[in-house]
Amino acid sequence: MLTRVSQATLPVGAIAQPGRLRERVPRNEQWLGFAFAAPVVLLMAALVFVPLGLTLWDSLHRVDPMRPGTPFIGLKHYVDLLSDTQVRQAWLNTGAYVVIAVVLETLGGLGAALLLQRVTIGRRWLLAAVILPWALPPVVNAIVWMWIYNPSYGLLDGALLRFGLISAPKVWFNDRVTALCLVSLVHVWRMMPLTAVILLAALQSVPRELYEAAKLDGAGPVQAFIHVTLPLIAGGLAIAMSQSTVFAFNLFDEAWILAGSSLDTRTVLAQVYMSAFQNLHFSYGMALSVLVMLASCLVSLVYVLRVYRETRYG
Amino acid sequence: MRAAALMRRFGLWAATAGLLLWSLGPIYWAVMTSLTAPTDLVAQPPHFLPPRITFEHYAKLLGASSSYLGTEVQSVWPQFSRALVNSLVVSMLATVATVTLATFGSYAFVRLRFPGRDLLFVLIVATLAVPAYTVMIPLYRLLVSLHLIDTYLGVTLIYVSAFLPLALWLMRSVYQSLPLSLEEAARLDGAGRTTTLLVIVLPIAAPGLIASAILTFLSAWGQFMIPLVFSPTLATKPLTVLIPEFVTKNYVDYGLMNAAGVLAILPPIAVVLFLNRYLVQGLMAGSGK
Amino acid sequence: MNMRKVLLGSVAAFLMAGVLPTRADEAKPYAGQIITVLFPPWTTLPKDMTDRFTAQTGIKLDLQTLGWDDIRTKIVTSMVAGTAPADVTEVDWSWVGQFGAAQWYVPLDGDVDAAVKADLPTDSIFTFDGKLIALPYNNDYRLLILNEDHLKKAGIDHAPTTPDELMSDAKAIKAKGVVAYPIGLPFSATEGSATAWYLLTRAFGGELFDAASKPLFTSPDSPGYKALAWEMAALKDGLIDPAATGLKDVEIQELFKNGQITFDVAGWAGNLSVYTDPTKSKVAAAAQGALMPNVSGKTRTFGLPGAAGIPAASQHKEAAAVFVKWMVAPESQIESYTALGNLPTRTSVLQTLDQDGKLASGKVLLEQAATVEPLFKQGTPGWYPQFSSAVATALNQAAKGQLTVDAAIKQIAAGAEDAQK
Repeated sequence: MLTRVSQATLPVGAIAQPGRLRERVPRNEQWLGFAFAAPVVLLMAALVFVPLGLTLWDSLHRVDPMRPGTPFIGLKHYVDLLSDTQVRQAWLNTGAYVVIAVVLETLGGLGAALLLQRVTIGRRWLLAAVILPWALPPVVNAIVWMWIYNPSYGLLDGALLRFGLISAPKVWFNDRVTALCLVSLVHVWRMMPLTAVILLAALQSVPRELYEAAKLDGAGPVQAFIHVTLPLIAGGLAIAMSQSTVFAFNLFDEAWILAGSSLDTRTVLAQVYMSAFQNLHFSYGMALSVLVMLASCLVSLVYVLRVYRETRYG
Repeated sequence: MRAAALMRRFGLWAATAGLLLWSLGPIYWAVMTSLTAPTDLVAQPPHFLPPRITFEHYAKLLGASSSYLGTEVQSVWPQFSRALVNSLVVSMLATVATVTLATFGSYAFVRLRFPGRDLLFVLIVATLAVPAYTVMIPLYRLLVSLHLIDTYLGVTLIYVSAFLPLALWLMRSVYQSLPLSLEEAARLDGAGRTTTLLVIVLPIAAPGLIASAILTFLSAWGQFMIPLVFSPTLATKPLTVLIPEFVTKNYVDYGLMNAAGVLAILPPIAVVLFLNRYLVQGLMAGSGK
Repeated sequence: MNMRKVLLGSVAAFLMAGVLPTRADEAKPYAGQIITVLFPPWTTLPKDMTDRFTAQTGIKLDLQTLGWDDIRTKIVTSMVAGTAPADVTEVDWSWVGQFGAAQWYVPLDGDVDAAVKADLPTDSIFTFDGKLIALPYNNDYRLLILNEDHLKKAGIDHAPTTPDELMSDAKAIKAKGVVAYPIGLPFSATEGSATAWYLLTRAFGGELFDAASKPLFTSPDSPGYKALAWEMAALKDGLIDPAATGLKDVEIQELFKNGQITFDVAGWAGNLSVYTDPTKSKVAAAAQGALMPNVSGKTRTFGLPGAAGIPAASQHKEAAAVFVKWMVAPESQIESYTALGNLPTRTSVLQTLDQDGKLASGKVLLEQAATVEPLFKQGTPGWYPQFSSAVATALNQAAKGQLTVDAAIKQIAAGAEDAQK
């Protein structure tokens, strides 16, 4: 147990009081700390926190570059957003992406991590292959998969036809459910490596002795997995899942390239982009982006709290 | 028992093959398509190997002239090369700036004590949960007023603000894993804080630094949303924005589109192949704690 | 003596060397400048055209093409930021209201003389607030383009003249097994889908909006409603490819060139030159233009001309002006027509082409040209782009079966109200 070093500004040379350890923080260390941290803090303040504040402020006004003036309109944008059917659809789509992505990425990532853990020859190359989809520009992934999904000449329909699973080329993007699934698939293809690596790191931190002990107790591989592995990688799982969630919330490139502004697959971020940069209703877009941020933070918070609780005893 | 062991072996091999097919299959398909002649592309059913290899798509991208629906038009190489240069320059600038700031900044957040240190760090890392477009529009107006739209400086600043939190987090893990005794020893020898950082800590933290750099470079290379808004013209337009434009322009020329895509993924592939070790280290470190 | 001669000679040579470049400069005042031009795919100028321009004027061209639907967004985001997306850009008839009001384009009245203006009848569409903000170079209007061979194989000997006849002809062609999907109409959420519906509204004898910009298509017996119902019926009867929900108008044109569809319903007038070019089209001998069908028997269509304009934030305005004027020069218009299918905007050029017999389906083209009207008589309103995007979205959803015709019409009407707010 470490005593917490007080961060409060102490006069240099504070007297150590009986019963409590207090360290003095030398002035020059404070200044050096400021100096090193200042550029970072200034940059983040200017480019993230200030614009964030501006977004919140402007979302309460009408900011439209094609129209003069920026009158205060209070919460009108937020009210309009609640009744906007296109926005509602975008939320549903984004929700679908999050669910599909988290489930598939976690299951697939876990499977891949377990496999990587077992493989001993050429693990380095297998790992490189697994990571590759994650390293590529999402835009290129979308183009590659778009060609695979092409109803007339694409690989998907061609393979399904050849194996007799469908009788005629199917236009996948006509049906809302399949469209969502196909877009999610591209996203999962890209993000699963991240989950796999995180879980691999977690798996490798589980001590071998525990597995030995479980075997001695007569536990089979499945039981060992449930009782030894899972609890110990819970932290890693939580982190991986929260990453999956945040990235799925921010899905843009794949849906945009594969289906454009089609309402079936439109995400909230695409809706923000369209409102702001196609229809030029800046403040409307900003109000929506505030809602997206709140939703994203809320969901992440759930995971963070989970992780905090898990790792406190870790 | 031998049968069970063999089954397990076979299962492992099958699973590995499946994983490889899943990860590399689409890339293989893209490469194959880019080397297939247009007439073979529209054949039914699709060929798994191109019947004959052609480089005409790459010629259209890199050659002295291009063609559009049968008409010979100006070469697209000037645009392509310009976008390639832009991607490289911006990715490099963003990487150097981010890693430098993270190296010093993270050290301050880990080893140096100053008022508000922990709160600031939490706030900064919390911005990872803020989606890009929440700050995009005011940023856009801010950069417009500063005349930084479509400049390397403007885009680099935005990238740095986006990738700095993760780099800080990563470097923090790296610094925390280093034994204090090393720095204590240096201090006893009379070295100042900065010297300690530069001479003692950095060489040992180098792998983490490299991992940070790789992650930042890959993230910057793959950006689409941000340059879509902030790099409207070829002055700073990166490859990731140019290539979808090819798509909208050459709507049926899939060979060309895949060729353009293949060219755009060559640098990331190179990074993954040669710097694989550092990349994995980085991802693992960033995911822990 | 010899020295004098040599000296005089060299001085003379020196003077001449000083004089000659000036004279060449006068002909090419902007030589050495590079201008960027941004156009949609059908204006990807052939290499010998661009080379010729550079040889004539010394100005180098950096030709960029973007999908049509992306150009507007590109222009808007750039101009709002105060940078020019290019030195010359496409200016579509539908953007004039918005861009003119924002004063984003340099007035070109001073650059063209009255004779040229008179030769360009569509330039009234590009005049905002009395100022000409772009020069029209692409005289797009719509007519029915069909594949004669397919009709003959189905035993039909004349082009359909009413929408009902078009549908029954298509059914006959499909029944005979000539092609699987005879009718070509786009249903992706792009502008091409919306303009096709406007055209069919006209074909059913009506307009979109009244003088007060109120929708005229909301009741089930209105022309707009019937047009949408017609499109959906054709889709349901298997006359239109279900994959059309992912296709733009330019992709439908590729299908026609490949002989996969019989009717390019919202056919572009200029495209006939490309359709009848054996090096570019597989159906060169069979492509024919026909008058746009109409319930009343009297054909109607509308014009969607494209123009070239100079953004106000451009850094090379004078060189850009040289290019824009060159685009509407007679030789450029002819070459743009033969190579790319952009119908010339100059009346004189059209007449010359027709006299020389180079105007594909010339008789029909000119007859249809006489019936061209603008979609909005009072000029394109600033809310048009947002309305059109709502139309395209609704059409896309209806084609996918997610909206009934009734629900789609209601959504379009709501979109109109939204856009006009």
